[in-house]
Amino acid sequence: MQINIKYRPTFALAEVQLQPGEMVRAESGAMVSMSSHVQVSTDATMGGKGGLLGMLKRATLGGESFFTNRFTAAGAPGEVTLAPTLAGDMVVHELTADHALFIQGSSFVACQDGISLDTKFQGMKGFFSGENLFFLKATGDGPVVLNAFGGIETLDLDGELVVDTGHVVAFTSGLDYTVTKASKGWIDSFLSGEGLVLNFSGRGRLWLQSRNPGAYGKTVGALLPARKE
Amino acid sequence: MRHEILGSPDFTSARITFEQAGESCVAESGAMVARSGGIQMKTAMRGGLLAAAKRKMLGGESLFQNTFTATAAGQELLLAPAPEGDLQSRILQPNEPFFLQSGAYVAHMGDALNIDTSWGGAKGFFSGMGLFLLKIVGPGTVLYGSYGAIHAVEVDGSYICDTDHIVGFTSGLTYNITKFGGFKSLFLSGEGLVCHFSGRGTLLLQTRNPPSLANFLERYRRVEKSSSND
Amino acid sequence: MEHVVEHGPAFAWLRVGLAPGETIQAEAGAMVRRDVGVGMDTRLNAGYAAGFFRKIMAFFVALVRKMLGGETLFVNTFTGPASGSSEVVLAPSLSGQIVHHKLDGRTQLIVQAGSYLASTGSIDTKLRWGGLRMLLSREGLFLLECTGQGDLFITSYGDIIPVQVDGDYVVDTGHMVAYEGNLDFTVGGAGGGLKGLFLSGEGLVMTFRGTGTLYLQSRNVQGLVGWLTPMLR
Repeated sequence: MQINIKYRPTFALAEVQLQPGEMVRAESGAMVSMSSHVQVSTDATMGGKGGLLGMLKRATLGGESFFTNRFTAAGAPGEVTLAPTLAGDMVVHELTADHALFIQGSSFVACQDGISLDTKFQGMKGFFSGENLFFLKATGDGPVVLNAFGGIETLDLDGELVVDTGHVVAFTSGLDYTVTKASKGWIDSFLSGEGLVLNFSGRGRLWLQSRNPGAYGKTVGALLPARKE
Repeated sequence: MRHEILGSPDFTSARITFEQAGESCVAESGAMVARSGGIQMKTAMRGGLLAAAKRKMLGGESLFQNTFTATAAGQELLLAPAPEGDLQSRILQPNEPFFLQSGAYVAHMGDALNIDTSWGGAKGFFSGMGLFLLKIVGPGTVLYGSYGAIHAVEVDGSYICDTDHIVGFTSGLTYNITKFGGFKSLFLSGEGLVCHFSGRGTLLLQTRNPPSLANFLERYRRVEKSSSND
Repeated sequence: MEHVVEHGPAFAWLRVGLAPGETIQAEAGAMVRRDVGVGMDTRLNAGYAAGFFRKIMAFFVALVRKMLGGETLFVNTFTGPASGSSEVVLAPSLSGQIVHHKLDGRTQLIVQAGSYLASTGSIDTKLRWGGLRMLLSREGLFLLECTGQGDLFITSYGDIIPVQVDGDYVVDTGHMVAYEGNLDFTVGGAGGGLKGLFLSGEGLVMTFRGTGTLYLQSRNVQGLVGWLTPMLR
């Protein structure tokens, strides 16, 4: 499988060229176009609790549910083009068996089928639900396509760093993290506009995005007509 | 008059420079960024009134278009589309057709340009969000915008794309709309439709999906409790 | 203060290095990442030399705006540590550019409040009071008068388009980022008479007169809202 990212860095598009029989797994809303002989099958990987109703409710309100589609080129080479929801860049990371990749939910675009994606791993759950964030743990061998809201900064960290969670695209195992409020105290947290931060330490790779989906959502959302309930 | 495309492909805008008094440009309502003081603006109803009225009731766009007319040489008009993305111009020859998604239209120049909003294939193309397909016939210049970058596909045979990513296409292509086979927009307001194109022509796609953005923003809307007698 | 803008022109962010004790103030919510030693504390943006009354007024305005979901007028101040790495990265919420303006104490720059990102030194950002209507309107024209000495960083939604004005120039209020020079403006409907005011779909416009430089942005949030609304549930 060959993955070519076009229109970097502002409105990147991933062009995936598939050999016959090769399969790419992509986030459910990501398909832009495909060759007419590419076949699609569905798979749902659901995070969280509440059964079917809980899943539907979370998905409708943009919660944690995570759905993917699988695309295969049948009989001849074919292409699938993929894009995320928000403006920004995309990058391909070659995952190998010696490390895991923790990916912020909205930053996942696609991966080679066979890579394992886990939404229920321990360590992240429960922290971020108020911020509409969740993390996937990817393990295996092969390419993973990540998107950024904005530009991508790739940091090879050896030390410590405090990062606003909304700006995190992904990071590798090898980095330890704690989650804290950005400001001391509740009033400061309300007023400062800063939400949660990840305090990283250790050695590993960290990808950051230069815009924060939650901040964008709040800025635009405040001006949209109200939803009736 | 001449036009310049500024900043492509990042948040592109256009500068129209009028070279004589009396020259005019018609633009989508809300497209004006700025203009020289002497330019006159007139508002008029656009065609396709029924569809426009339906869109208006959905609470977004206006029924109207604005015509900007220069009163002296050298006056300028700056235009920009609403979404985050690119802006392109296309010069159409006499009788040359071009099919454009209605939300992508920004402006046009040339009195002879014909914009048909109610031709046979207009409706049913998009997933019912008040969007339809415009049939534009030259001569004249049309300016259109996108959410995302504009990705041109030279179709020769057949090709499938998500309808929400369509900006426009040239004649020479026939199309067939079907539902997408995978998980797509179970929870989106759209239907997850795909379009099968066949023939030979250019298909213009945008690299971002407007209903996806709307869906993303749903959770950030204020919630109003509707007053009901419980 | 060391500073560099990266990821422009579409997704610009500001990376600064702070000397020990050196401070930069930034609009609330702007922090992307910081070195562990950099201090952060939250204050009301009442202006550098604000007296008691101005502080109360600014607090009231800020709280109401925060609750209406508008910009906050609280700022975070970052301070460089005595030793160790001292980097802070700041970004606005909308996509676009970041422009650096050095103020020398003699000139002023008028900036649309949502376009303010950060400033250093003794730069004073004074909110122009436009009355109760300004407070409550969602498209309110909140203008900050920036004076003093130091570095000022402003942002745009979309591309920044500078325009040299000499005469009359009409700008859609949502596309106005900042202006300087000998310029005056009036606010009104876009033109085209009464029909144009209500029906044109254009919002309010500012008609500038005089000579000076205008900074425009190639996108505006109200336009995005209008484009999105038919697609919402």
